Amino acid sequence: MPSPIIQVHGVTKQYQRGGETLTVLDKLDLEMAEGGYYALMGPSGSGKTTLLNLIGGLDHADSGELIVAGEDLTSLNGNDLAAWRAETVGFVFQGFNLLPVLTAVKNVELPLLLTPLSARQRREQALRALELVGLADRANHRPKQLSGGQEQRVAIARALATDPKIILADEPTGDLDRVSAGQVLDLLGRLNEEFKKTILMVTHDPIAAARSRSIVHLDKGKLGSIEHNRPLETAAARS
Amino acid sequence: MGSIPLGLLWQNLRRHWLRTGLTMASIVVAVFLVCFLRTLIVALNAGIEASANNRLWVQSAVSLFVDLPLSYQPRIASVPGVEETCKFQWFQGTYIEPSNFFAQFGVDAAALERMYPEMRLVEGSFAAFVANDQGCLTGSATAQRFGWKVGDVIELEGTIFPRPDRTPWTMRLEAIYDADNPNFDKTMFFFHHNYLQRALESGEALGNQGVGTYVVRIAPGADATTVMAGIDELYENGPQRVQTTTEAEFNRQFVSMLGNIPTFLRSIGGGVAFAILLAALNTMLMAGRERTRDFGIMKAIGFRDSTAFGLLLGESLLVCGIAGAIGLALYVGSAPVVATAISRMFPGYRATPETIATGAALALGVGLLAGIIPAWQAGRLRPVEALRQEG
Repeated sequence: MPSPIIQVHGVTKQYQRGGETLTVLDKLDLEMAEGGYYALMGPSGSGKTTLLNLIGGLDHADSGELIVAGEDLTSLNGNDLAAWRAETVGFVFQGFNLLPVLTAVKNVELPLLLTPLSARQRREQALRALELVGLADRANHRPKQLSGGQEQRVAIARALATDPKIILADEPTGDLDRVSAGQVLDLLGRLNEEFKKTILMVTHDPIAAARSRSIVHLDKGKLGSIEHNRPLETAAARS
Repeated sequence: MGSIPLGLLWQNLRRHWLRTGLTMASIVVAVFLVCFLRTLIVALNAGIEASANNRLWVQSAVSLFVDLPLSYQPRIASVPGVEETCKFQWFQGTYIEPSNFFAQFGVDAAALERMYPEMRLVEGSFAAFVANDQGCLTGSATAQRFGWKVGDVIELEGTIFPRPDRTPWTMRLEAIYDADNPNFDKTMFFFHHNYLQRALESGEALGNQGVGTYVVRIAPGADATTVMAGIDELYENGPQRVQTTTEAEFNRQFVSMLGNIPTFLRSIGGGVAFAILLAALNTMLMAGRERTRDFGIMKAIGFRDSTAFGLLLGESLLVCGIAGAIGLALYVGSAPVVATAISRMFPGYRATPETIATGAALALGVGLLAGIIPAWQAGRLRPVEALRQEG
């Protein structure tokens, strides 16, 4: 039984909106195993993206314990969290979020600037990542010269450039046509199976969710249910 | 972990090349203008800077435009501490046309060399100037302006001292001076006061017989204040009271006759600097707003807050620094041309290291002030909020 890489214990997150307190995550308990491929589903406002942001160290929980890749995120300050993110997680966003002024390879090189690699090593590693996503021939194209599917694949190359343990994907196929979405899901599946990356993907799309090993349902900030799509020798979850 | 991706800094500059270019152009103009105006002020004060401590100026206590009698010179010379005296009579002749203005003085030719050791002859000789009663001596700037060389005959039409037969005052150029001190006026034109005096006495020319000012050189070790008091006391009871001042004070009064021009120029320079600060700040605020999402992405990837801060501040400093360097290059490059064009009013115009430093400080100061607020805002952006911004 693989050890959990993500441990969420009694996590609460609230927002103030128009003088009203909105509880987005309500004493949530959840564990995810290393090497797992999880789809996070639920209606709008159920807290999926908030949970993803908390696990990715982009936001702070109001209370509870959040241990990711062995680090207690609630104890880290801003700079430590940034360093932790650089080393541990790769993000894939719905809107691709590439820097428009940089070429594909430069976008992929961006997180490598935070490593001790030389310029030549960075370039080589970025090209390898682009090759992995099938876009080595588009290395010197800017984002606006790429299709949506290609942009998302460059974003995936960027997310895995530093070889992080965890890939966090927020609606990665939300802005893509069916063919491009299929390519992106193939890629995520490959990262999980071949490269043993733990993947947590927020999605509304049942087809995308079906490609994961486990589907975690959230409802009103609480864990609803967990479905296992495939034999889960590497994934475990409990409420 | 807080490294600033310099390639991104450069790419961001090119993101809105027209806006960046226009902002830079306005800073170029502002830096050039501020340096130009400062140089005008320095040039106005150049005479004061070039003043000698051992020279005094004696003028009428009533006004600079009232002549003193010729008889005053030997009495002034007799005051203890006075080593040398020299007449200085404003002539204001016209060379070909009125726009060809340059300062002309009737002087004691023999005394001039000892009175102004700063003058370094580059053509001709003082001996030839002194020997020729109708000889003249001029500065290199004026000689260059009109293409004069030693031996040329210069004809001036008298305005204060016209000739009834309308013939010009004719002089032969015997020497051209230069000076190592850049603030020393190199546009002056000297001729023999005797030539003027003889013509006035004989009726060949019209005008008052007298001297506008006497320049006095004091002996080494003599106290200037005591000498000034001694000269003023000579004519305390008339017939015409005199006012003796140091050369620096005399030049300062001369500048003040132009009115409050230095203050006016400083006000324009200050206004230009403030306006450009607002323009640069506006540009950087827009850049900061446009890059909110980019900073969110970078922070999500693992860049620190200080990277976002450094990127925007660096961009502001880079824009202003490059523009400032261009402005300064224009200022330095154009200085000789501008100096020639405005030598009549500002004979001491020249690019100085102090003004270059002022221009550089202005450019970098604007860069710092315009960049610091948007950089601070970028630094404190929370990645989650930044990522929600529309791209």
